[in-house]
Amino acid sequence: MKRKLLTLLSVSLSTLVMAQSVTVEFWHTFGDPKRGGWIQAKADAFNKANPNIKVVPTFKGSYPDIMQAATLAARQGKPPALVQMYEIGSQFALDSGIFQPVGNVGPIDTADYIKPVLNYYTINGKVNSIPFNSSSPVLYFNKDLMKKAGLDPAKPPMTFGELTAACGKIAAANLGVKCFGMSLNGWFFEQWMAEQGALLANNGNGRKGRATEVLLTSEPAKRIVSWLKDMNDKGYYTYTGKLEDWDGSDAIFTDAKVVFHITSTADIVNINDAAKKTGFEMGVGFLPIPDGVKRNGVVIGGASLWITKGIPKEQAEAALKFALYMTNTDNMAEWHKLTGYYPVRLSSIELLKKEGWLNAQAPQLVAFNQLLETIPNEATAGALIGPFQQVRRIVEETIQKVFSGASVDAALSEAKTRADAALKEYNASVK
Amino acid sequence: MARRVLRIALVHLILILAVLLVGFPLIFALIKATQTGSAVNSANLIPSTHLWDNLLSAWNGAKLGLYIRNSFVVAVGITVLKVVTSALAAMALVYFRIPAKGLLFTLILLTLMLPSDLLVVALFDLVNKLGWANTYQAIILPFAASATGIFLLRQHFMNVPPSLLDAARIDGAGPFRFLFAVLIPLSWNTIGALTLIQFIYGWEQYLWPLIIIRDSSHQVIQVGLKSLIGQASGQTDWGMVMAGTLVAILPPIVMFTLLGRQFSRGFILSESK
Amino acid sequence: MNAIAVFKNRWLAFLMLLPTLVVLGLFLYYPALETLRLSLYRANFVFQTETFVGLAQFQQLLTDPAYYQSLLQTVIFCALVVFLGLAFGLSLAILANQPIHGAAVYRSLLLYPYALSPAIAGTLWLFMFNPEVGLVNNILRTLFGIAPRWLDNPILAFTLVVFAAVWKNIGYNLAFYTAALQNLPGELLEAAALDGATPWQRFRYVTLPLLSPITFFLFFVNLTYAVFDTFSLVDILTAGGPTLGKTGITTFLIYRVYQDGFQNFQTGFAAAQAILMLIMVGGITVLQFRVGRRVNYGA
Repeated sequence: MKRKLLTLLSVSLSTLVMAQSVTVEFWHTFGDPKRGGWIQAKADAFNKANPNIKVVPTFKGSYPDIMQAATLAARQGKPPALVQMYEIGSQFALDSGIFQPVGNVGPIDTADYIKPVLNYYTINGKVNSIPFNSSSPVLYFNKDLMKKAGLDPAKPPMTFGELTAACGKIAAANLGVKCFGMSLNGWFFEQWMAEQGALLANNGNGRKGRATEVLLTSEPAKRIVSWLKDMNDKGYYTYTGKLEDWDGSDAIFTDAKVVFHITSTADIVNINDAAKKTGFEMGVGFLPIPDGVKRNGVVIGGASLWITKGIPKEQAEAALKFALYMTNTDNMAEWHKLTGYYPVRLSSIELLKKEGWLNAQAPQLVAFNQLLETIPNEATAGALIGPFQQVRRIVEETIQKVFSGASVDAALSEAKTRADAALKEYNASVK
Repeated sequence: MARRVLRIALVHLILILAVLLVGFPLIFALIKATQTGSAVNSANLIPSTHLWDNLLSAWNGAKLGLYIRNSFVVAVGITVLKVVTSALAAMALVYFRIPAKGLLFTLILLTLMLPSDLLVVALFDLVNKLGWANTYQAIILPFAASATGIFLLRQHFMNVPPSLLDAARIDGAGPFRFLFAVLIPLSWNTIGALTLIQFIYGWEQYLWPLIIIRDSSHQVIQVGLKSLIGQASGQTDWGMVMAGTLVAILPPIVMFTLLGRQFSRGFILSESK
Repeated sequence: MNAIAVFKNRWLAFLMLLPTLVVLGLFLYYPALETLRLSLYRANFVFQTETFVGLAQFQQLLTDPAYYQSLLQTVIFCALVVFLGLAFGLSLAILANQPIHGAAVYRSLLLYPYALSPAIAGTLWLFMFNPEVGLVNNILRTLFGIAPRWLDNPILAFTLVVFAAVWKNIGYNLAFYTAALQNLPGELLEAAALDGATPWQRFRYVTLPLLSPITFFLFFVNLTYAVFDTFSLVDILTAGGPTLGKTGITTFLIYRVYQDGFQNFQTGFAAAQAILMLIMVGGITVLQFRVGRRVNYGA
């Protein structure tokens, strides 16, 4: 009898503990063992250290998939507490009304974040989400092929003109490879706008007020598209033909079929490994920019962590606690080493320097400098556009049209009409 | 005689070519599953030694064991229900005198034109109202009926020799005895073929389970497999993806092997009686 | 049709139909009606906003040249996929049903692509047709010194998607035709042979008509496959591109629906497109049924 009572007691005690524990569902987009596994490991460590919190990370497909699933769940009244959302989904996430600014949940030490990163995720003076995986585009080059063409790998091209000239030399050297092979991707267009200090959308890139116009017919926009057309017409440029084909263009570079490549800093580790396997030495340089403009800097890419609205306060706080834990100084440094994504904290960079990870030869250093030298302003804070994915797609299609013979001016003005219409349609559908 | 030999050789030649062309992407996948790193995404056709590593990381990374079990439950559930509901409906349509039969059959066939992927939002709200989110029935019951199945079985039943019917009538057999004692034994081939098609249909579910299933203990293989493919930018380990693919297509291939005979005999659709 | 109806218990018949009717009604017809309703609203799924706009979205679609281009592309694509799919399926089935050794082995080897999910099938093709490092261009470069940019040239990209789609479904068609061929009444063919009909005549005037019910069924299945199920293949292989004229050459109607509905969350707009698609496919179905009834379609 006594024993029974005791069991009963312990059962009720354990249910008591259970009742107090908080579950944090975390929906993310990294299903691969490397990154998804890292997130799971961090959740396990966190759960161990915080017995009253249970973080459950789940892969939920692509970013649009996550957005859809989170919205449906919110409609059910049971949203996940923590959601990973890509940077261009920020305005959309904000408009969805299913999230709350993380600043409202608890204190965040904003001083420790790299400025351009923080700028991106600060909207209307409020920090809306915790920066997580962050990156920007850089130039990758094949040092061996450069040498063969008589180019100096220590001085990679810094401008469009220099890159075109280098391509001329490579073509002349008859190496049997193409010169330049980035994926056809609206992201790079956006970066080149920011590098020229140009806005992508009106109303201060949508940060002073809701954007109503996409500035696709500006001089900086024409400069970018004209250059790409020139590179393609001269036969210097190659890509798989599929839009945003990251893997296809990486493969072209790592198989030493092009000399220059532009892609995310997040790929530094992988591309470096692949280059070694193929048997060439890879270099990393600043993103080349249009000639005759002052380098303004890049916009942060990647994703951040959002906390949903309408969940119990303890749950939101637990979510924030985990988000801050996963992105703390040590973890961000570890994440960076694992993937190549920026450690978005100044303290993490310090740590990496102290560890000797960021020595003068490290390709990552270039990427850091590019980010740290970025001038904080509206252009580099990045545009807030609701239908960003649509606009990006319109830009990509426009470049394809120009490749197949359309005039730059006509194509861009048609693109602007389409993008503005998409924006109008979107703005009309917001509550 | 020589002409006949030549003809047979030619048929073999064409078939071998066809098999090579049609089967090549699969052979390609098999080779890629043995490679690692950048070799995978290249023209390199030399098998490497990483098959086991790739299999292992796919198995663990995408929880293949768990997801394959779930997919199996779902695919079998869908298949069994579809076959049962189809057999019942087809029998009602063929052997019973009911009003508006033509209209009913048309309404059933029209659902072939309503792909559930397009209707996902409305479906989600409905399934939630039923309280099924996160359960097996959420990914099984919405697919428990099949216009294809009814169509095929109806065709088959209509071709059952009338003499058997008369025999059954003389015996005074009830509808269910007729179904189990006469129709089903005559329909194994069609049922086998149907089973195969529906199993593969159930096995390939992706969008709906992704949305409606929240906890991974009920998630299916296609979602697990897709999770191996990178989302942000190119960091996908394609060798691992191909290894995962090879595991994921094993059950359908086993089904093909088991039901291949039925499958190739199962569709008597001629009008001859 | 009622000639063989032997049982008279209406209630029992109704009960037997009930599971099917409930499932189809609840999980297909009801959501379809909901979709019809949504097509009249400017609705955003995420914001949960709905503004009644009447037929404005239909008007927008029907006055958009890009939509017509997409429609035309879809029609050509479907025609090619259905025709080539059936033609290859039947030819291979005839070959693989010749009385030769190993016919069954050939048949099962030809079936396997059907077991691949469309996403993986798309990925494999993408690998092989990468212009710089893909296997196909490596071979072409060695043999002929050419390396086309497959996915960048509208004609090539379109052709590639057609063949990928046909390839993916070839096993299915082959299996159905095999079944039909093996069940052909031998007497008729023998009689024709005795009458002195050439092999081609026997095929054209005996085999082909006898196969028409299965062709009718496969037409149906392949059409819905081409219209609705090729989405993930296209998404992975070309992502709707490359751009030609007003839109991407492989931006088929279903791809637009997914883009607007699931990436841009314009639920109402996507619903309007879905309704237009249903009307069109429904129209073809009715037409096909008329034709089907004429070509000795069973009972």
